[in-house]
Amino acid sequence: MLELVILIPLVTGAAAFALPQRFGRALLVLTGVTHLAASIYVWAARPDALFGAYFAISPEGLLSLLVISLLFMVISIYTTGYLETHPLAGEKVFCASMLLFLATMSMVTISDHIMVMWIAIEATTLASAPLIYAHRSAESLEATWKYVLICSVGIALALLGSVLITISMEVGKVDAPVSFSALTAHATKLDEIWLKAAFVFIVVGYGTKMGLAPMHTWLPDAHSEAPAPASALLSGVLLNCAYLGLFKTHALMQAAGLGHFSGTVLMALGLTSILVAATFIMRQQEYKRLLAYSSVENMGIIALGTGIGGLGAYGAMLCLIHHSLIKSSLFLSSGNILLGYGSRLIKKTGNLAGRMPKTCLAFVGGFVGISGFPPFGLFLGELFIIVAAFRTGHPIVGGVFVFSLCVIFGGFARHVMRLVYGPAAADQNEPIPEKATMFWPQYVLLSVSVLLCFWMPKTLYETIAAAVGYTGGGF
Amino acid sequence: MSFLIDTSLALVLFSVLIALGAGRLPGLIRVVAFQGIVVSVVPLLIGHNLSAGGIAFTVATLVIRGLVIPLAIYIAIHRRAIRREVEPIVGLHASLLAGLVLIVAATWVGRSFQLPTASDSRLLLPTAISLLVAGMFLLMARRNAIAMVLGYVMLENGIYVVGTTFSLRTHHIVEFGILLDVLAGIMIMAILLQHIKQTSGDVDTSLMRSLKD
Repeated sequence: MLELVILIPLVTGAAAFALPQRFGRALLVLTGVTHLAASIYVWAARPDALFGAYFAISPEGLLSLLVISLLFMVISIYTTGYLETHPLAGEKVFCASMLLFLATMSMVTISDHIMVMWIAIEATTLASAPLIYAHRSAESLEATWKYVLICSVGIALALLGSVLITISMEVGKVDAPVSFSALTAHATKLDEIWLKAAFVFIVVGYGTKMGLAPMHTWLPDAHSEAPAPASALLSGVLLNCAYLGLFKTHALMQAAGLGHFSGTVLMALGLTSILVAATFIMRQQEYKRLLAYSSVENMGIIALGTGIGGLGAYGAMLCLIHHSLIKSSLFLSSGNILLGYGSRLIKKTGNLAGRMPKTCLAFVGGFVGISGFPPFGLFLGELFIIVAAFRTGHPIVGGVFVFSLCVIFGGFARHVMRLVYGPAAADQNEPIPEKATMFWPQYVLLSVSVLLCFWMPKTLYETIAAAVGYTGGGF
Repeated sequence: MSFLIDTSLALVLFSVLIALGAGRLPGLIRVVAFQGIVVSVVPLLIGHNLSAGGIAFTVATLVIRGLVIPLAIYIAIHRRAIRREVEPIVGLHASLLAGLVLIVAATWVGRSFQLPTASDSRLLLPTAISLLVAGMFLLMARRNAIAMVLGYVMLENGIYVVGTTFSLRTHHIVEFGILLDVLAGIMIMAILLQHIKQTSGDVDTSLMRSLKD
């Protein structure tokens, strides 16, 4: 019963629409817990899918599913506290959309059919649009419009790419189901030219959704306008879903012997994203946009690592997991800051250490983690990618990467120092009350990242290695 | 059958030109609706969908692409009394010329591909390419948000032509899922359009410039 992970949030999402508003928060937490239990069951038992033609378990999908599930559970607890402090006008729609969003993302992780994958990824766009528009302001409307239009058009190109894969099957006379697992076995018979064209369209399409530069323009707007729990989900796990589509296509290219082509494209896009993010992080004025550009950077790092392959791809998988954990904690903390200070501008904040000490600890911890310092797991991921870049004979790529990381750390640190220790406005120096449900979730997420850096369960290591195994290259 | 296919595809190519030259929204909506109807029927004419399920699917596609989507957009305009001009960034005459060049180029490019297809119609690929590129062009060269949505619909129609005529593999249930996604996406866009009209008084996207770095 693999489909359980889709059905649970789908049913509760529908229930959240149908039931009165006061049930919404309870449904969120309830779904978070049951979904996590279902995901752990799926991880442990690896059940078969009811609709085997469309859904199947893959190691990279399992990883993403577990991350999504864990994050949703933690974020649902935060959401109850958030909605108590800051009631939203359309709370019912918000809760229902969160649940449907979870259903669509779970669908992405277990999709095996190429077109079903596309359907699921496009459905994540649609389910998350109401989340971005939750504040019903002119700015959030603009952000939602850009998000829906840019992502829909981008993903339409990915659909064209998926169609081109089926054409490459026709031309190569391959008689197999249109699923990633079946095609990887027949990959060498697929027509090369059409497959290359397909990859280009899919990279542009899913790359848009993943936030790779230069297709990232919707991302900072959407992530900064959405309420904190939604931003945390968007940044923490939605980007991973788009990456999954890209990763599976890259694995298919690898199996077809075109891995060099697709890897180079991924490396170029990844490096571009890191450089673009570096320039925008330097001169950023709003802390939520700062975090959004940091997501662009990290997606670039993940694409870069995947493109390098081998140890780099292993590093990319680590980055994927730890970026989700750390970045969602940062977005949750930014929600506390926004509620406390009432402004998104960095210069309107200050003295976070004195006014919100518990949030400050989570925020600074997240900052240390996202900058790639130990003891957080992102450190290992980035280290592996750097080592792999030099080892596979890409010293310039490695050099530019390290340089950009330094620039980004510098820019980020300046803003964080201003936020944490800088002077607050004269009339703003009393402590701001903090709710336990609004800082413990961040602590939990960060602790998981630290824990995974020191102690990685064997099953987790084996799953990552199996996922990376497709993309070839030794350690 | 081949005569029927070629005639309808030629009409679609012609409608691409009309869409690029259209200055007012209701006309553009009608053109897109016409394209939706033709591209839904093409697989049937080629002989792909001659089973009971296939015909049911064709009818569903026809209703959604040809009626529901255009009507949803039309109602969004009508209810909010939105101005009817497409507000071009690239002028209408220049767009028309670009459309002509596009069709010539698409025909030329289309000939150089050897594609396995059930039909010997030489217009299929040029039509698909023209719809794709013209849709993209409308998205980029019009400031009016509704014209942009219509561009997106044209792009989708083009992808549908590629998908159904050059590849026989996708199951109807999957194609129906894609169609539902597209429909839901356009419904959400239509809702957003109404809110945009309410908040800023117009659907001119150049008014939406508050978020930037």
